[in-house]
Order: sequence, then structure tokens, then C-alpha cells
Amino acid sequence: MITVNNRDQLDWTENMTVRDILKLMGHTYSLITVTVNDQLVEDEDYDSFIVPDHAFVSVFHLAHGG
Amino acid sequence: METKKITLTINDIETTIVKGTTLLSAINKLNIDIPTLCHHKDLTPSGNCRLCVCEIENNGKKELVTSCNYPIMNSIKVETENEKIKKHRQNLALMYLGRYPNVPIIQEIARRCEAFDSDLYKSELSETSAKACILCGRCIRACEEFIQEKIISFAGRGINRHLTMPFSEVDPHCVGCTSCAYVCPTGAIQIVDQMNNPANPELIRNHGMKVNAEMANLDPYQCRMREVGTANIVEVMDKYDLLPVHNYKFGQHVDTPKIDSKVMKKHYFTQGHPDQCWHGCSMACAKAVDGFKLKTGPYKGHKVCVDGPEYETAGGCSNMGCFDIEFVIEFNFYCDTYGIDTISMGTTMAFVMEAFEAGVITTKDTGGIKLNFGACHEVLECLHQLSKGEGFGVEVGQGVKFLKEKWSKQKPQFKSFLYDIGMEAKGLEYSQYMCKESLAQQAGYTLALKGPQHDEAWLIFMDMVNNQIPSFEDKAEALYYFPLFRTWFGLQGLCKIVWNDVSPADNKKHPPQQAAKIPEHVDNYWKFFEGMTGIKLDEEKMLNQSARVHNLQKIIGLMLGRNKLIDDIPPYRAVGPVTKEEYESRKERYDKELKEKIGIEPTSLSIEEKMSKVREYRMNQYHKVMQAAFKRRGWDQYGIPTVERLKQLGIDRPFFIKIVEKARHEAVESN
Repeated sequence: MITVNNRDQLDWTENMTVRDILKLMGHTYSLITVTVNDQLVEDEDYDSFIVPDHAFVSVFHLAHGG
Repeated sequence: METKKITLTINDIETTIVKGTTLLSAINKLNIDIPTLCHHKDLTPSGNCRLCVCEIENNGKKELVTSCNYPIMNSIKVETENEKIKKHRQNLALMYLGRYPNVPIIQEIARRCEAFDSDLYKSELSETSAKACILCGRCIRACEEFIQEKIISFAGRGINRHLTMPFSEVDPHCVGCTSCAYVCPTGAIQIVDQMNNPANPELIRNHGMKVNAEMANLDPYQCRMREVGTANIVEVMDKYDLLPVHNYKFGQHVDTPKIDSKVMKKHYFTQGHPDQCWHGCSMACAKAVDGFKLKTGPYKGHKVCVDGPEYETAGGCSNMGCFDIEFVIEFNFYCDTYGIDTISMGTTMAFVMEAFEAGVITTKDTGGIKLNFGACHEVLECLHQLSKGEGFGVEVGQGVKFLKEKWSKQKPQFKSFLYDIGMEAKGLEYSQYMCKESLAQQAGYTLALKGPQHDEAWLIFMDMVNNQIPSFEDKAEALYYFPLFRTWFGLQGLCKIVWNDVSPADNKKHPPQQAAKIPEHVDNYWKFFEGMTGIKLDEEKMLNQSARVHNLQKIIGLMLGRNKLIDDIPPYRAVGPVTKEEYESRKERYDKELKEKIGIEPTSLSIEEKMSKVREYRMNQYHKVMQAAFKRRGWDQYGIPTVERLKQLGIDRPFFIKIVEKARHEAVESN
């Protein structure tokens, strides 16, 4: 199980990437910052960064508009 | 799994880069410095000066390439300096030096390339000016990429090649962005106008240029403001369940793609160049539709130019359930033409439609107009009536507050329903964001002094999506900072768009709470202020400047008998589900809230009981966040500034103190 934004819980699967998490959460926003256990993950690593089980993932949407 | 990383060697040093990175970027990443002239970090590389040549070995084949515009697509071996490269650069430098012997940047490059004989290539073309144009083309690219114009270009061929505006005359399309001067390496282009006598025009220009560069390089991948303007968030809001639909009952709709930015761009937007609403700005967020044939009203059959649509107009239409793009554009045109705000009109009509569908009003009240959700033609009919001061349109034109009060008197059995669904506070209609799942946004809207306009505090993403301000204190801090920051730059006449509709590439380096403020862009605003006034700012000074005005606005409201505690309470539609269908549409969320936050097992309750418990809980939460925000702002429990706060801000004049003390006395009496 991994925790997203200190609130949402997702079942962990082996070789789960950041991209998988964004897909599962339905996050398609253009201005997103992702950290996994407080480690910043660059955009180009979303497909390759493997998220460990029990990870705390932060998917921070930078507000625009409004 | 697709790999985007490539390993290569540069001067025998192994390094990893993202596929497609230019060779020059990879070289610079290793802190290896090679000469460049036509290259600028914010411009598309052109490779025309050829000073950045390097030798690459690609699949056993060696060749010289210009590194600035060579994209690395596979693993290569690179040398940035060898005898062949040195000779190539030296020859080039000698030619530049012969033609521009006194230009400092040419002299510097010549020194680096060991090119010392300035007479070798001296000719009748040689220019003695130290600020000669060296034909690097940076300014032309800057004009095209920063501001999407072609105000300057090369003319002539060979030895006659020179930089010019069309027909050698000043082009009226130039918006004065100064991008050309900013990127010019020699000073050949200089800015001569110093409007409004700024204290430090260079400071303003340098920070303005940062925004221009971000727009050119980042906007296409971020908000697409140049492409579609604020309409880009129609689909974003829908995706995140925040687009108001049917008077804020719902946050998304299956028909949203019919009115989103993709449709607007593909079939309607015909204009999108910088319109100079802010001098020199390259954001170009304004869009227009040309040759639109109107179907109704006094201009029926005319082909007109429509300024927009922007997000709020589309949001107003989704709120009315009108998912017809041609309606959106016609509604936009007539609201503009009649001088009516599309937000207030959209929200008012959405309220009317819900009242109509709920049977509060009938065709007897509307003069025969059937105002169900989605009744596009009927909305336009009301709009035309409004403009002529006729029929039901006259009532619509007086807004939600007027209508709910009037109908409540006429039909008291509907009073609580009307007050629940009438989306206004302080007499102003809510703008187009569905805020019921974000406590901070509920307060951001309702505590805004002018009424529920999002421009004081737009916290939905921070709160609802990111969950980054979970406690009441966190929310109160956001409800302190953002309204004051936004009030501040509004007071300076600075546009909001360049604060957060483009974001620096490295904004991620900040922790989330700071990142949300976009520190580099706040700094831009401080530098604009300093550049104009000569006064340096920091966060505390800025917030205090703003707080003086913000508190004065509050005091003026109190003086006029407004801005009372009751005015800071939102209609329940802004907070939670008013109707059963709303509850059912998010049953999972609300049931989870009952179970996990309220501590009640939902399975044992009827839907009415569940709605009642959720309502009690949510309104209680709202009151708590409101009180936390009051406290952070230095206001008392009635939302009235304390005398201590006025003293802190230096606005403790007897007249103001008298107003707040009178308001406090009345609040104590009435609460």
C-alpha cells in the first residue's frame, strides 16, 4: 500500500512507476511536482522511477488559473 | 519501458542526459565552457555563428557539428577541443575580428580563440563602432519567439545584409517588449523610451524578460496561454471535478469537450497575438473569434468579432448546462456588448434555472420562457430582454440576491431552499469554480471583501487536490497570504497572469508550501515595484502594504453597513450537497466522510439523515476555518479588525476606530 498526498491510499504493485501512480490517480495536469519519500522525481524519470511499497508519495499540483 | 536517458562521453567524461538534449546543454552541464556568439539560453539555437563546433564520433564516423543545435539522439563520443576544432574557431574569430574590430564581445572571443590579427580580414565592410550589429540574429529570433512578431528581420544579401524593420520604418505592431535589446550581445539595439520615469528601467526590463523567456520556452508545455488563453482550464476543471455544472451541483459533465479549449482553438479562435493590455507583455492570453455570425438579438445575421471566450465565460455556460460552443460565443458577445459580466449572468441564470426546474418559479414568473438547464436560446432571450429593460430579463438583471429575497417573500415555503442554492455572498455572484469539496476555497470565496470572486484566494488545488494545507491553521495562513498578495499586485496595476499562469522551470526546487507562491515570480513583482519606485520590498513589507488597504476596505464595508459576520457565511451549496441527487452523485465521498471524519456508520441512516449530519459537520468546519482566518488576519470573532491590528498597520485613526468599535458593539448585540 502506498499513500498519496497523506490521504489517498493505493494498492502497491511490483515495479510500479510514478507514471503508473499518476495514471491511477487520474492526474493529467501540466504543472505537477512528484516526490517519493521526500525525494523529488524529475518529469523525465516518471516512467522509470520505481516506487517502493509503503512509500509516501506527494503529487503537488501547482495552481494556475483562478 | 521506453528509456529517455542516453549515456555519452564528452572529453572522455561519461555523462547521462535526456534524449533530445542539445550537445551544448550537455557540455555546459559538465561545466565545460566553449565559445558561442549567436546562442542565447532563452532562444531556439540557430547555429549560424558556428563558433560552438565540436567533433563527435557517431557509430565510428567523425564529424564537426554545431553543438548548440545538435540534438543527442544516441550514445556518441564528443571532443570539445582539439586541433581541428581550434583551427576552425580561430578562422571564424579572425573573420569576425576583421569586420567588427572594436566590439567587446568579438574581441573577447578572438582572445579565447587565439585570433590576434585584426587586419587579416579587414575590408571595406569593417565597422569601427563598438556597438556594431554583428548580424547574429538573436534579436530576430527573440521577436519571433518571445512576442510572436516579425518586427525586425534581415534584409539584403551577402555584403548588403542588414537588420531592419519593414520598409525601414518603425513598425506600429511593435509592443515595446524590448526583447531584441535584451538579447543583443553588442548593444546595437538600445531602448530609448523611459515611460513614467522609472527609478530603474533596467531592473524592470530584466525581470520582464525573464517572463518573456518563460513564455517562449515553457508555456507550450504548461498552460498554453498563447495557444488558447485561460480557456485551457475548462478541461482541467472538468477533469478534477471542479467545473460548475447545473448551478454548482456537479463538477463535471460528459458534454464538456463540446465547449473546451480544443474546440475553441480548432474551430473558432482566429486571433491570439499580444494585445498590449500590459505594455510589452508577451503572454498573449487574449483570444478572439472573427467573422462569427450571430443568430439572435439586434445584430442577428451580422458577422462580428468576439473577444474571448475565456474560462469564466465557458464555466458560466457549463453552470447553465449550455454545452453548445456557438451559444458560448454568442453569449460572450452579447454580454460584452451589453456591458454585462458573463460570470454574474451565468451564475444568476443557473440559479434561475434550478429554481425553475424545482418548481419555485414557472413560466408565469418568466413571461412564458422555459428556463430548464441547457436552454441556450432562452438564456439569450433573457439577455436581450435585460438589455432592453423588458420582461423577466429586468428581474434577472438584478442578480441572485434580489431574486432569492423576492421569491422567498412570495413563496416562503421555498425560502431555505432558495437561500441554500442562491450562489451569492455580499450581493455578488460566485465565480465559476465548484468549491464544495474544498474548505479553504469556501472561505477564500466567501471571506473575499468584494464578494466571492476567486481572485483573492484560489486555493482549491492546494487544499482539495494536494491536501497541502490540512489544518485550520494551514488554511488560515493561506487565507492570510494569498488574499494580501493578490490584493497587493492588483493595487500596483500588475496583472495576475504572469504570476502563476507560467511557472519557472526550476520551481520544483522549492518545498510545496513555498512552491505554491512561485517565489521567483513574486520576486519579479517586487523588482517591478522597485524598478518604478526605487523602494525595495520583501514579503513582510509587501503584506503590510496590502494589509493596510485590505483592512481599510473592510472598514469602509463596515461603515456602509456591510461586511458583517452574516455576509461571511456562504450559501450551503458552496459547502455541501443541498439535494439528494447531489449527495448521490458523490455518495462514496460523503459516506466516507460520515464514517471516517464524523464517526457515524452511514448504512444505518436514511439519505435525509446523512445529508443533515454532513451539513452540520461541514458548516461547523466552515465556522472553524473562518475563525482561524479571522484570527490570522488580526480580526475578532466577528471578523472586525482589532484596534491592535490597526495600530500595527499604522491606520489607527480615530475615525476608523470609531467605525470598528461601533460595528463590534452591533455585532455583540446581534449575535
